[in-house]
Amino acid sequence: MKNEIESVLFVGVGGDGIITASNVLAEAFMLAGFDVKKSEIHGMSQRGGSVSASVRFGKKVYSPTDKLGGVKFLIATEKIEALRWIQYINSNNAVLVINDRIVPIINQTIDEKNIDKAIKNFKTNTLIVRKFFEEAEKIGSVKISNTIMLGVLSNYLPMEREFLIKAIDSIVPEEIKSINMEALSVGAELVYV
Amino acid sequence: MKKIKKIVSGNEAIAIGAYKGNAAFASGYPGTPSSEILDYFNSFEGVKAQWASNEKAGFEAALGASFAGVRSFVTMKHVGLNVAADPLMTSAYTGINGGFVVVCADDPGMHSSQNEQDNRNYAKFAKIPLIEPSDSFEAIGFMQYAFVVSEKFDLPVLFRTTTRISHSLGVVEYDPRKLDNEKELSLDKNFEKYVMIPSNAIKRHTRLLDKFEKLKEFSNQTPINYVENGSINVGIIANGISYNYAKELLPDAHFFKIGFSYPMPVEKIREFAGQLDKVVIIEELEPFMEEELKAAGVKIEGKKYFPREGEFNLDIVEEGLKKAEFIKKSKDKVIFDSVDVPKRPPALCPGCPHRPIFDILHSHKNIFITGDIGCYTLGSLPPLSAMHTTICMGASLSVGIGASKIETKEKIVSIIGDSTFFHTGIQPLIDAYVNKANMTIIILDNRITAMTGGQPDPSSGFNLANENFEAINIAKLAKAIGIKRVFEVDQYDYEKTKQILDAEIEKDGLSVIIALRPCVLMPQKIKDTPFVVTDKCIGCKRCLRIACPSIDFKNNAAIIDEATCTGCGVCQAVCPVEAAIVLKEK
Repeated sequence: MKNEIESVLFVGVGGDGIITASNVLAEAFMLAGFDVKKSEIHGMSQRGGSVSASVRFGKKVYSPTDKLGGVKFLIATEKIEALRWIQYINSNNAVLVINDRIVPIINQTIDEKNIDKAIKNFKTNTLIVRKFFEEAEKIGSVKISNTIMLGVLSNYLPMEREFLIKAIDSIVPEEIKSINMEALSVGAELVYV
Repeated sequence: MKKIKKIVSGNEAIAIGAYKGNAAFASGYPGTPSSEILDYFNSFEGVKAQWASNEKAGFEAALGASFAGVRSFVTMKHVGLNVAADPLMTSAYTGINGGFVVVCADDPGMHSSQNEQDNRNYAKFAKIPLIEPSDSFEAIGFMQYAFVVSEKFDLPVLFRTTTRISHSLGVVEYDPRKLDNEKELSLDKNFEKYVMIPSNAIKRHTRLLDKFEKLKEFSNQTPINYVENGSINVGIIANGISYNYAKELLPDAHFFKIGFSYPMPVEKIREFAGQLDKVVIIEELEPFMEEELKAAGVKIEGKKYFPREGEFNLDIVEEGLKKAEFIKKSKDKVIFDSVDVPKRPPALCPGCPHRPIFDILHSHKNIFITGDIGCYTLGSLPPLSAMHTTICMGASLSVGIGASKIETKEKIVSIIGDSTFFHTGIQPLIDAYVNKANMTIIILDNRITAMTGGQPDPSSGFNLANENFEAINIAKLAKAIGIKRVFEVDQYDYEKTKQILDAEIEKDGLSVIIALRPCVLMPQKIKDTPFVVTDKCIGCKRCLRIACPSIDFKNNAAIIDEATCTGCGVCQAVCPVEAAIVLKEK
């Protein structure tokens, strides 16, 4: 039988909480019985640079990193970063979840209209661009926007949502568990709103 | 006992492996991508772990623990082993008492390094065994095995990981119990073995060469060098992360998986290659294994198809396998067109105390700034652009000394952080005094090793075991050396700092300026009342030149992001207009 490996790529800016969000998802896949590998970049990226993490899952996963055009699922916490990594996305059947937000770059003037235009040009079945910070503030904190995005994505993943709930339970600190659970279910419903 | 199943990074796995392998002591110096290993190891009960001021000191401390009979290890990044090369070469002669492992993390692709040297060469240089895991799961097992190999051959073992292995995570399942420790703890007094005066060293060199012959046989027998049979008549020899890329791309090939890569299992590979039509070897960086095999007359190809520089990935390895005609040209790729977006380089944090120093230096045109390694190396990037050399740890001062001895129109300014100063900056500070260097030395004492994630250093006042001590006072140290012009400044007092810097750069002779503001991130995150821009802003963009991530420019005026502004006030200090930048009213 062919060993299908799929991947969720997280991209954003240092400080966006990408490492934690990708850890939650990796844990969920493991609990659901998949083999999982995850790669992330540390070091210089801590200082507000581009950050990415990739969660690869399947029966048996070898490489921790992705191939160009090999990624089905994208979570981008910032629009410029979504564009930067777009060549890793499979243009056939991708699910793109993008936070409608721009983080300025020192010494650069950014034309948001051009960025939006480029994102709209992605011909894919599922393109979800939303102001996830606003959704997060409704629940109480912008810090849980990543969990809302995970909730959105959970509608498309080959895994029951209960494993994400279990993963939050085992990874997230006690005091913010319940708000993260709420964020996950809010995200899961957002697609239908 | 119940097995533990979890997802861990390569670095955590190395620490778990060391603990399970019964290591009792570890030391090291932080350096990406190795820094987290010691922290993880320190989290286990009953072990001793400590940061050293540099890799050589850490290496020797771990060697000392081994001499006392326990299993020990030392961690560092690849360039750290250059610093520790001295004890490495001779500890191969003395051998060890308790198992001793040198954990070294290479950085192919230079994610966070000044070069991409291939440290496997050190195993060959020192004639010691080299072990390389491919992922977290292997790291746990291989680390335990490394201690066993070390004791079997009475040699240090080089355990090499890379960024992609150290910082990738994978599922591991392990029994949390430790291996038995049967060794008696006592310092081994053995003059001929441990005192490397020439008469003893001559004999130990012969002994090392004897061991090396046995290691060659061992490499052909060890279970971590093994064959995986495939269904197509081609073979792939691979180590480390390259194995995973190749295995995912071409699972049907025959594989020779290398875990013990020096000395090479030449005879076993000769047998493997002899049965196949064509065999390639895939290894990142240098043709280290390829040269060994070719010298032994084994028919393989490697760097003919795969690059000798940079980090590999699935695409690069696929390209090489196509060149070797192992895979056919694939169908059209299903990828989006690329979109041109500006790079997002890392920047000094909002409130970073290094920023005002670079802003002040930026305004001096007739200076040459020799820099060093740490967050503050970011001061070399535009728009701060205030650093003209970065070579290696400690080189700021010594390069500055040499440059200052040559008559040029530029004055010399050397800039170094606290952790780097304690690493290899004290000796050149002494040299600057002794040799009467004409330079200004700035020591950015933020009390922490910030770049690598906030490890404590001698000016932190606490150590890895969280024991307190009176922090080393760099001004007192400089005065004790005999240096007369020693100043301490608070960078948030921009005017005063500028006054002292300007005056000292102007003067002839040696001055040392210690900048004392602590890091805004570690150990405590600092966030004071933010500043805001008023309608008096004239849009001159002077504040943009300090490269603060909290400042943006929209509609011809600066704008400060209150959420990230720490209230350091440097933008206000450089603003030419009265009341254009003010503290936010509460």
